[in-house]
Amino acid sequence: MLILGIDTSCDDTSAAVVEDGGRIVSNIVSGQSDIHMKYGGIVPELASRRHIEMIVPVVEEALEKAGLPLTGLSAVAVCHGPGLIGSLLIGCSFAKALCYSAGIPLVAVNHLEGHILSPFLDARPPEFPFLSLIVSGGHTSLFVAEAAGRYREIGRTRDDAAGEAYDKVSKLLGLGYPGGPIIDRLAGDGDPASIDFPRAYLPGTLDFSFSGLKTAVLNFLRTQSGSAARGAAALPPATVSDVAASFQKAVVDVLVRKTEWAIKKMGIRSVAISGGVAANSELRRRMKEMAGDRGAEIFIPAVPLCTDNAAMIAAAGRHHLTEGDIAGPDLNPRAYLPL
Amino acid sequence: MKLTSDGAARTEEIGYELGKRLKAGDTVALFGDLGSGKTTLTRGIARAFGIARRDVTSASFTIIAEYPGDPPFFHIDLYRIENEEDLEGAGVWDCLGRNSVAVVEWAEKLGCGIKNCIRVEMTDAGDDRREISIEGLDEEDRNNL
Repeated sequence: MLILGIDTSCDDTSAAVVEDGGRIVSNIVSGQSDIHMKYGGIVPELASRRHIEMIVPVVEEALEKAGLPLTGLSAVAVCHGPGLIGSLLIGCSFAKALCYSAGIPLVAVNHLEGHILSPFLDARPPEFPFLSLIVSGGHTSLFVAEAAGRYREIGRTRDDAAGEAYDKVSKLLGLGYPGGPIIDRLAGDGDPASIDFPRAYLPGTLDFSFSGLKTAVLNFLRTQSGSAARGAAALPPATVSDVAASFQKAVVDVLVRKTEWAIKKMGIRSVAISGGVAANSELRRRMKEMAGDRGAEIFIPAVPLCTDNAAMIAAAGRHHLTEGDIAGPDLNPRAYLPL
Repeated sequence: MKLTSDGAARTEEIGYELGKRLKAGDTVALFGDLGSGKTTLTRGIARAFGIARRDVTSASFTIIAEYPGDPPFFHIDLYRIENEEDLEGAGVWDCLGRNSVAVVEWAEKLGCGIKNCIRVEMTDAGDDRREISIEGLDEEDRNNL
């Protein structure tokens, strides 16, 4: 069973061919970070315009690399949300037209389901049930994945996503976009114990909160430079690295601790982590360490499969197809789409 | 009208009271820096339209969070928006006015499109305190807030 996946939920246009929900035949991701870098964020108009330019070449490359004609596909799986509405529209419209013209079935996949099932693209996938932590620029949620298509949310952020905190703090520090890799790199030169930023553990729940941390960084910068507007320009590089390291430590402390609580509370010892922040070196290291202490098994896909990609959409599309959950030409994307 | 909140819970209550006074077609324009409580206030406003507290989080990533209902409720966050083209491309104008209720964070980025809005300015007054100034509510509603 060969499925073409398409994802245009955010800044990357991606297309992939995946066999039987796990073997990647091709996976093409058009990095757009070069144009977004100067804006300090994902700018929707730019993103949608780029998606229009990229969608045909990216899909063609995915099929070519797979050595497949359109008619060789069992189905097309497209991400219909959550994400930026203008960007999602391009992927959905394209996929609908493609399926209509080639006479192949279309299935709709929630972006979050794609992330949850992304570990199945690795050589050693987890077994159900497992805990899934999705941590990215748009999401920070904990799920129990009971089976393909059966997910229970047990915690989520009440305000900002962890990756969003990274991007906002990066902007406050006058650094670039995306904030995750830049702060991760700078943190290596800083002292994580130098500034005691707050950690919102929210005892008794598996929810997250990163808004207070972002505000604490802003207030710290205000007291340091006398003005947030001047931001990091007024700070010595060593202080910037210390802020990066201390901020990163606060984020990772919370993510690791709450995942540890989830393991204990749910009695599930397999944990998958995905989303852009799962590419963070410190998070990967600390999660593996925690899992070792707890006797749990951790499944983190390779970095290109943590960040947005269409292979995970194609992988998740399989069970929709086998269950006959086919999308019609009336499929509409949604910016806000709870799983 | 100027109000002072002593923390997030009170800010949310003020939002709820404001939300109860809104009607279909209203747009609330929020002004204030990072961490001034805009999303917290929005959570309160949304609650007045039957939207669960849990379902309102930062909309910086998706720009527009739509909650179908009667009236439809839009939580819009323009943090990432840079110019007119972006506003157009994100579909922000389609969400304002008509039969829906919209709350717009970083409303200064709406440019000249912020006429006929209820304006709310939020300022960090140190620690958990926030100063909230509300303009544009009907006189009668204002006395009851």
